[in-house]
Amino acid sequence: MALPREHFESLLRARQLDRTLTTAIPAADTRDESTLAPSSLDVLDARLGGGFPRGQLSEIVGARSSGRASLMLRMLAAATARGELTALVDVVDMLDVESASAAGIDLSRLLWIRGHVVVHPGPCRDLNQRALEQAIRALTLVLQAGNFGLVVFDVGEAPADAIRRLPFTTWLRLQRMVEGSQTTCVLVGGEAMARSSAGLTLKLTQELTQKLTHELAQKLTQKVAPRGIRFGHGWFDGIDVEARIVRARAREREDVRVSVSTTCA
Amino acid sequence: MYACLYRPPAPDTPGDHRGSGGAELAREIVGAELARPIAVVAIAREFSPRYECQGDDLVTIDVSGLGRLLGPPQTIGEELRRESAARGVRVQVAVAGTQMAAHLLARSHPGLTVIAPGEEAAALASIPIAILAKCDAHRTQSLQGPQRKPAFANAEYSALAAVTAFTRWGLKTLGDLAALPPADLVSRMGRPALAWQAMARGEDLRPLVPMLEEERFESSLDLEWPIEGLEPLSFVLTRLLEPLSTRLERRDRGAAVLHVILRLVQGPEPCEIHARRLELPTPLRDVRTLRTLALLDLESHPPAAAIECVTVVIDPTPGRVLQHALFTRAHPTPEQLSTLLARLGAVMGQDRIGAPATVDSHRPGAFATMPFATEHRHHDDHERRARGARKEGAQPSAISHQPSAIHEPLTSALRRCRQPVPARVAVSDGRPVRVTTDRREFAGGAVLHSAGPWRTSGEWWLDSHQPLAISHPSAMSHEPSAIPSAPWDRDEWDVALGDGAVYRIFQERERGAWFIDAIVD
Repeated sequence: MALPREHFESLLRARQLDRTLTTAIPAADTRDESTLAPSSLDVLDARLGGGFPRGQLSEIVGARSSGRASLMLRMLAAATARGELTALVDVVDMLDVESASAAGIDLSRLLWIRGHVVVHPGPCRDLNQRALEQAIRALTLVLQAGNFGLVVFDVGEAPADAIRRLPFTTWLRLQRMVEGSQTTCVLVGGEAMARSSAGLTLKLTQELTQKLTHELAQKLTQKVAPRGIRFGHGWFDGIDVEARIVRARAREREDVRVSVSTTCA
Repeated sequence: MYACLYRPPAPDTPGDHRGSGGAELAREIVGAELARPIAVVAIAREFSPRYECQGDDLVTIDVSGLGRLLGPPQTIGEELRRESAARGVRVQVAVAGTQMAAHLLARSHPGLTVIAPGEEAAALASIPIAILAKCDAHRTQSLQGPQRKPAFANAEYSALAAVTAFTRWGLKTLGDLAALPPADLVSRMGRPALAWQAMARGEDLRPLVPMLEEERFESSLDLEWPIEGLEPLSFVLTRLLEPLSTRLERRDRGAAVLHVILRLVQGPEPCEIHARRLELPTPLRDVRTLRTLALLDLESHPPAAAIECVTVVIDPTPGRVLQHALFTRAHPTPEQLSTLLARLGAVMGQDRIGAPATVDSHRPGAFATMPFATEHRHHDDHERRARGARKEGAQPSAISHQPSAIHEPLTSALRRCRQPVPARVAVSDGRPVRVTTDRREFAGGAVLHSAGPWRTSGEWWLDSHQPLAISHPSAMSHEPSAIPSAPWDRDEWDVALGDGAVYRIFQERERGAWFIDAIVD
């Protein structure tokens, strides 16, 4: 006798096996501020309903120079300003400490774990894979320790093929570890990694960069920067970033766009 | 009854030896000096657990209960002298009904002096009054120990000033001072003068404060069958650490340093000992945490052979006092953080974890890592806001989550290439127009816009092989350059390429070589 769908789902939920089939993880309650970690970017927080959800695996994805690191550092700064302890698993070891300081991070509250993954692995790709797994283990340890306000796993410039080779269960396991805790876990990378384990995915792009290919020839002749990148009189001024929520547990916030600009310190 | 042992200074002081002796003699002297106070205390410990050490050379013993065991006070005094002689320590012994009388008599009379209870004042009457200055100096010295400060010891009525005043009045002995009318004495010197008079009469100013023997937190286990590997060792460590942790808790102490001493099976080297010393960032006494830290350390530094004896020694330190707050978010406990840091160190390497820190240098990308603190204060501003919210009658919330005070625009961040990526840069009219690399990940392309150059140089005054000075004593300095200690002289550019990426590139002025230094992200 076939089980009714409701019974089947409730059985899966009882064994916590419902993650990939249903949207069983309850969405962060926007009325309860303890479930949210504001990024202190008012425009973004307003669109996110208060901030990034705690107890979920969130993602910030985007291409190079799309403002990922800037947003990541801002989130860390906001968390340390709230008095929380934070951790950054810097998989490729590319954190610029001056930038972190300029972003306002209380550096004494940031546990910095520097990974061994290299951007250019050359023929030693297996070595890179082991280094990535080592970084995942470090992230696991931090999440197991608990009570960190914000934990960031930054694979921004890591080779994409190495990340894709990680088993899917990795992210499922991490989601299970962070679930129910007060920790906001954020993955920062070039493309979405956690797939259905992700609670919120924020995709960053330079504003109107997608038109670049069509306008490239014209820009090359005019010697002007793409529209998302601003240059002042003789100096680099900042990047205009468009943040798009491409996936959220609360479906009503999905596909919301926000414009943010970065400025030089 | 109290007995007092006083070791008078030896006629041949250590200073006499130093001129003629060599290094060995000096060591012997140092050893003897260290041994002498221990000898006096050891004698006291042989007779009673209730003793008070007052400086290096004087100890007061409560001998009240020894009458049934040894006999009358005279016998007790003789036994004390006999024991001292057996240990090679020359002492003056006094037995009296009060501590103060025993103290003064031991200082003033050689050999053995025994005074019956009630005769203290008469026995002290002939002692010169100058002895009070010595007693006070001695008491001040003993304040470094656990003894409390005497009530009368203040600057105004210091012993020397009081004895000078008494001498000026014509008083020569303690008996003269004891005979003065207390009211007249107080009217001239104030209430502290009563304490001096009480001392002169041999009356106690305070009860005896017995010294607690410094407890040693050590546990050892000899194994009949040697063990190999860390898994069986973890059970042994648990068994050793559990009673130690209980004792630490009883004494309100935590472990500051954990020593794990492993005696290995006799190998080619005789009596091989594998000793590890773990300095703990915060006082700990949790068995699981201590065991995990010890095992993680032994994973990094495994013993060379099987283990036949395990010894754990803990250096104690006063325990932590914690005050948790209701309105602030909980932090990881020091135990959790210590374990986490040890585990991370084992996984990633100790030099790969810590708290980042800026350094006082103009070198691009310079930074330092500091040890990550295991104890963090709750943020004062956050607490203040939480209190303010409560005062204003805001909606009660278990944990306050006011948005942080950062309202500045988003700051552009860099991603530093620790090893600058060599690049080929085409230059036209002095400006880069095309950037390419051999790396697949940095495809490069035409430069759409550039800003620069910014010339920066430094440390050209240093020898190129000289290591960089570390900015903080406990900091580990890390420099991003391929030649960390070399001087730098470069022109930096920010370039936007056709692929949408913005790079910070630089040209080494000496060689003319171009590199990608950072990515603006």
